[in-house]
Amino acid sequence: MTEARYPQCRIVPLRILGPDTAERLLNAVAGISGIRRLMINGPSLPATVPYGPARGKPNPNTNRRTITVGDTEVELRVQVGMLTAEVTDASVIAQIRRACDDIFTKFSYQLQEGQFMKTQATLTDYAKYGPDVDETFIGLVDPRRKETPVILQGLH
Amino acid sequence: MAYTPQYGPGTSIVAENRRNQMNPNHDLEKIRDVTDEDIVMVLGHRAPGSAYPTAHPPLAEQQEPDCPMRKLVTPTEGAKAGDRVRYVQFADSMFNAPSQPYQRTYAEMYRFRGIDPGTLSGRQIVECRERDLEQYAKLLVETEMFDPALVSMRGATVHGHSLRLSEDGMQFDMLQRCVLSDDGVVKYVKDQIGVPLDREVAVGKPMDEEWLKAHSTIFHSLVGTAYRDDKEYVEYIVRVHTLRTKYGFMPKEE
Repeated sequence: MTEARYPQCRIVPLRILGPDTAERLLNAVAGISGIRRLMINGPSLPATVPYGPARGKPNPNTNRRTITVGDTEVELRVQVGMLTAEVTDASVIAQIRRACDDIFTKFSYQLQEGQFMKTQATLTDYAKYGPDVDETFIGLVDPRRKETPVILQGLH
Repeated sequence: MAYTPQYGPGTSIVAENRRNQMNPNHDLEKIRDVTDEDIVMVLGHRAPGSAYPTAHPPLAEQQEPDCPMRKLVTPTEGAKAGDRVRYVQFADSMFNAPSQPYQRTYAEMYRFRGIDPGTLSGRQIVECRERDLEQYAKLLVETEMFDPALVSMRGATVHGHSLRLSEDGMQFDMLQRCVLSDDGVVKYVKDQIGVPLDREVAVGKPMDEEWLKAHSTIFHSLVGTAYRDDKEYVEYIVRVHTLRTKYGFMPKEE
């Protein structure tokens, strides 16, 4: 477990975002220097119908597409409802607020400060990653998923 | 003196809307036109134009047992023909959708015959004979009980009623059964359970915020009428709770 605690904030827009706005928001926020980790939350958009009589059939959905953040392609698996960021110091949060003010003009948003990411590995994390896990990866992805977190490149 | 049902308490617009939807003598305002074929397509139970599959022979062709209830109750058209029992399910957003699950069940019980509703927190299913169902579903979609953006027909994977709305004002739907097209009309591209349709089914433009607030049947302190603003409703619910709590102690009203 890391001893140092970095400030964290959470952007909660009044509406769930479409992929275009999510792309703009992520590019604006991730472009700010001093961000250590970012996490996207929102309701899932699976590629196939997960249950019901149509189970297993393809689920075409215009909200699920690949967006580009910096030079990195990020495949959206959820409709973005919330963005959590861990930053190096509190001044970065003020910059995030300014970036959000520019983006959320049609509806409002909340910027909450607090501790939103896991601070230590849980049993599930232990089962998945083992004892020597990199602490920065803990809590960033759903432990049930095979995909790893995306490393954003080409921003600074 | 003839009994006049009150349907529900309250002095607010929400209470009034609830009573109007429940009262079978009140004509629900028709807002949009959707064809029978469109309804059949979205329901997804049979191909449009095909015959109704049957669960039993028509009542006229089979020997009925000598039963006083059968003499008393007139069968619906679907029951007469021996149709299968099929369903329609609606998911209603909490952001001022014009009807809500419990409200739907109350309204349908007053207005329709031969139905079996199932009520859950965010969705309401109603089962009945197929040809009756199509008529009922048409009424529910065409009238003020429906809004294309905030109410949707979802047979399965209904999650979305309590979520924030999408940027375009649509209720979240994992399967994206209906989309808001560029001309502002909501179109169903998949049927109730998420199977893509052969052609799009238009269900009209989403109603504006003012209309929704005036036709809502849910109290919502942030986007609509606050529950505490309706003193009569609060008084009624306090009375119900008080009597329920005191029931074991032989309640007496003071």
